[in-house]
Amino acid sequence: MSLLPSLLPWAVAAWLLGVGLYGIVTSRNFVHLIGCLSVVQSSTYVLLLSVGFRTGGIAPIFYTHPPGTPAVDPMVHALVLTDVVVGATVTALLLALILQLHKRRGTVDPEALRPMQP
Amino acid sequence: MSVLLSALFLLTAVSGTGVALSRTPRQQVLAMAVNGMVLALLFMALQAPDVAFAEVAVGTVALPLLFLVVLASTKMDRSPRGGDP
Amino acid sequence: MPRGMTPRARLVLFALAGLCVLPGVMHVALHMPQFGAHPLPYGDAINAAAPGERHLTNMVSAVNFDYRGFNTLGEEFMLLCAVTGVTVLLRGQRGEGRSAEPGVTPGRPIPPRSDGVVLICHLGGPVILLFGLYVALHAMTTPGGGFQGGVIIASGALLLFLGDGYDGWHRMIRSEAMDACEGAGAALYAACGFASVLLDLPFLQDFLPLGALGDLFSGGLMLIENAGVTLAVGGGFAVVFGKFLEETRIIPEAYKP
Repeated sequence: MSLLPSLLPWAVAAWLLGVGLYGIVTSRNFVHLIGCLSVVQSSTYVLLLSVGFRTGGIAPIFYTHPPGTPAVDPMVHALVLTDVVVGATVTALLLALILQLHKRRGTVDPEALRPMQP
Repeated sequence: MSVLLSALFLLTAVSGTGVALSRTPRQQVLAMAVNGMVLALLFMALQAPDVAFAEVAVGTVALPLLFLVVLASTKMDRSPRGGDP
Repeated sequence: MPRGMTPRARLVLFALAGLCVLPGVMHVALHMPQFGAHPLPYGDAINAAAPGERHLTNMVSAVNFDYRGFNTLGEEFMLLCAVTGVTVLLRGQRGEGRSAEPGVTPGRPIPPRSDGVVLICHLGGPVILLFGLYVALHAMTTPGGGFQGGVIIASGALLLFLGDGYDGWHRMIRSEAMDACEGAGAALYAACGFASVLLDLPFLQDFLPLGALGDLFSGGLMLIENAGVTLAVGGGFAVVFGKFLEETRIIPEAYKP
């Protein structure tokens, strides 16, 4: 196996993290910013599932295959599975904050917000 | 690493880049749904069917809907229509 | 008043930070274990032990509900906290707006719903609900479980909104019932743990008969925990969807922010 394909998963995870952070830094709209945050989040999914992968392994379900068949790591699947679902509700919480912000300040542009005056 | 996995990893990188670099939030919502679908395919290829189920439902239905509602809500006029003709 | 950073300065700072982090990232990426060919001691231990010890064939559920069940309790309460946060932030029109008019976007008329959309939603909604239940029920045997099933059930319920509009959604999905589902699910999961403690066992230790390997209702206590997660996730997402959909309605006159 050449060096390049075996580097690919880690490179993709790092790239998603970097490009998501770039989107967050340059964003002019809080809704857009949270979308970029979800890209950052997906980089951890790619990293974790790649760490738990085994070439030729089956999914960790022993319903049709007998127990003992080489399988991939179920531990990271459980981690990612709960985070996908719980992360969605946390994103909903962030979006609710933005709805409140829009009601009170009338804007969703991070640049337009200034520290509150006493 | 198989060709399928390599292709899916590259596709994930491209669709994630699309979400981060999309110009307007409305384009981003579409890019996000595509990204959710591509991630689910990648998880399926990485032998994680459980995660793929969750990602399909969350990434292509739940999150795009919430974003669309927020975009609609911040654009629309929600004052009572009492005085209007 | 302190001025914020200009976008250009922020971008320069980000580029500098990226340049500083890049060598570390390169180093880590080059020294990561070989993709797909390194040992997985924890996963292999679970794959070897769980079918015999816990009588189930889905290892992910074994980790979620038994071997690391305590983590899942934490996730469950994170979900509860996030949903509560959404409800608190978007409150204000409680009891109002059951059949409230939609808000208007200037220059954009609201088209009537087409018959085709209604038909597809009425046909597809029950099928997706059924599929969600199927996925949630098969937690112990095939890919599935409360987390995935709950989300699929909630997205099937969304088709009610698409097909019957806001009124139909509110007639069929009572927000009080969904609140109760959400709370009861989380409570059910915690109660499973305390039931073990009352029986003088460690927290969340399985004490029910485990059943036969590969049977739909194998796994003992994990079945009840799975039901709790399904209720909490399905109810939680339905509450969040309901709260967000309320945000596209006209604000009642009496409401002051």
